[in-house]
Amino acid sequence: MKHKTKEAIVGYVFSLPIIITVIVFTIYPIIAAFYYSVTDYQPLEARKFTYTFNPYESLEFNTGILREEAKDYPLDQMIQSFDPVTFVEIDVGVNLSDEDKESIRKNFDSLNLLSDYRDRKLPTEIKISDFLMKYMKSDGERFAKYRPKFVGLENFKQMFKDMYFYTSLSNAFLYSIVVVPIQTLLAIILAVAANSKIRGKNFFKSVFFLPAVTSSAALSMIFWLIYSKPGILNQVLMSLFGRFGFQPIDYLNEPGIALFAIMLMNIWSTAGYFMITFLAGLQDIPSSIYEAAMIDGATGWQTFWKITMPLLRPQIVFVSIMGTIGCMQVFDQIYFLIKNLRNITISFYIYKNAFEYGKMGYASSLAVVLFAIILALSLIQRKVVKEEY
Amino acid sequence: MEKKSSKKNWPVIISYIVLIAYAIATLFPFTWALLVSLTPITYTDENGNPHGVNIFDWPPNVKLFPRPSAFGAPLTFQNYKLIFEVVPLYGRWLLNTVIYAGLLTIGNFLLDALGGYAFARLKFPLKDMWFTLFLATMMVPSQVTLIPQYNMLVNYGLINTYTGMFLPKLTNIFGLFLMRQFFLNFPKELEEAARIDGSGILRTYFTIVLPNAMPGVSALAIYTFLGAWNDFQWPLIIASRKEMYTLTVGLNFFKSSYYTYWQYMMAASIFMTIPMIIIFLSFQKQFIETGRAVAVKG
Repeated sequence: MKHKTKEAIVGYVFSLPIIITVIVFTIYPIIAAFYYSVTDYQPLEARKFTYTFNPYESLEFNTGILREEAKDYPLDQMIQSFDPVTFVEIDVGVNLSDEDKESIRKNFDSLNLLSDYRDRKLPTEIKISDFLMKYMKSDGERFAKYRPKFVGLENFKQMFKDMYFYTSLSNAFLYSIVVVPIQTLLAIILAVAANSKIRGKNFFKSVFFLPAVTSSAALSMIFWLIYSKPGILNQVLMSLFGRFGFQPIDYLNEPGIALFAIMLMNIWSTAGYFMITFLAGLQDIPSSIYEAAMIDGATGWQTFWKITMPLLRPQIVFVSIMGTIGCMQVFDQIYFLIKNLRNITISFYIYKNAFEYGKMGYASSLAVVLFAIILALSLIQRKVVKEEY
Repeated sequence: MEKKSSKKNWPVIISYIVLIAYAIATLFPFTWALLVSLTPITYTDENGNPHGVNIFDWPPNVKLFPRPSAFGAPLTFQNYKLIFEVVPLYGRWLLNTVIYAGLLTIGNFLLDALGGYAFARLKFPLKDMWFTLFLATMMVPSQVTLIPQYNMLVNYGLINTYTGMFLPKLTNIFGLFLMRQFFLNFPKELEEAARIDGSGILRTYFTIVLPNAMPGVSALAIYTFLGAWNDFQWPLIIASRKEMYTLTVGLNFFKSSYYTYWQYMMAASIFMTIPMIIIFLSFQKQFIETGRAVAVKG
């Protein structure tokens, strides 16, 4: 075999696991999400035919004839009093759409089912979809696979009327607008400080990195304690400002404050992590530039704004893009700490719609909107960099 | 002369002030949580009288002598033992977290590195197309893929299973890029020498490339383990049965069922953080270097 062919084969063998998992677990879901977004996908509807049931019990309920005695009853008499729609809807227990009923009325093979019942040929446990597939003369496939109703752009139109869509989206924007600049600036200040001639650089780096290795779940719990009404934050503030009339604040339950409390926590937990990025950038700036500036008589302040900041531009862009993407998707802290729907963010609202309200179609359309926003923000930020270089 | 040198020192002094202040701000929440986690819920004094402990007492009354105490009660590690008894499933959650993070780490360790090497070094048809496609999917937020992924797992009966939990996360495009970047900077001479000696691509990879690539691959493994250990949203969705919770989801259970037992909640929070701190402190260099490499690339 030629080396080139061999290389191509090995290349595919090596990259196939990742190609397959990406296709199955990322690319297919992306396509599916866009499809869901124009349907009324409801998980409960999707699952209703996947449950199992015992046909004997359902038939006993329906006919009033015990399975052992069914043999003694004439088949035509049984058929006459048998209504397949009532049977499926009430005795099997599935909600049917009008089209489903129509189809069952037309295609259900009652004769086959009842004679199997009499001959005791039914299974004692069967999936509803398999059962219907078996006893429908045709059109049984409609129960095999759930097809959500196509609603066109209805979900997107609904958003305009949905107050919580506006609230959660503007909260996500507010969150990013507050958190990203502050955490970036703080990270730069820390990096500049750590880059000066000081001892214990590694100690500071490790300490600042600590929140980044802690799960947001644990951090949320810790801040829940700190932010609670009798908690330490209020105690400290009381001892400092109590005499000026300061009253304890229930930070996480106060709608005007809760989101800001979480922003503060977020800044605290990421500034140190991003500091590492800036420190790397600072170490790449040749010290001769600073020496030249000093000879020219530049003050520390001038050096910072005229030399350090412009040279850190790539890192600033990187940190602000990563920060914005992260902030727009903030979920864990909101899930743990926010109780008021007025303070939720869009990713939490997507979760709520999909997994609590059972509205996956609508949730998907919200996710598509979030995707479009994140894409637009990253493209804008990327474009800004390109123009600069 | 004297004036000049003191002026020169100002930036260093300010730097120290900034760094120490922020270090205190960073460490304080952890220290406070640790203190609360070490405080018993009730204790018995020398006379055998039981006392309740209020962790909201102010001031906290922290004493190191004659024995460490806070809020009037002697400090103890018993809460760390008690969380396993109060919530009998806690041990199971720990096991689940170890399994989830472990499987993910092994999967990413093997497959991302393999793919990264192929994309960095080997020529195969449609390589650029796949690469562009992967790059594009990185822009897609997880909220988009979450719902269809969940439905897919429901259809295959994989909800509340380890397989369902780790299979979709077995590879990571970010890890692939990291590894590709690593192998692009990897000296080619080693492989060429092996090839001249007649070693095939496969053998070269496993005997020459991978052992020498350990610094890069282990950084990926550490990052993956950390990310999986701390992951919340995915286990929250996939594990609806309590037996399948991970520690992060379990924390949420503590919050809803033991919300007045701050000592337990803090013990659980600190408990799940300690392994990560140990890992971080032992592999500090890889962490900070990877953070740096990612930033430079971006």
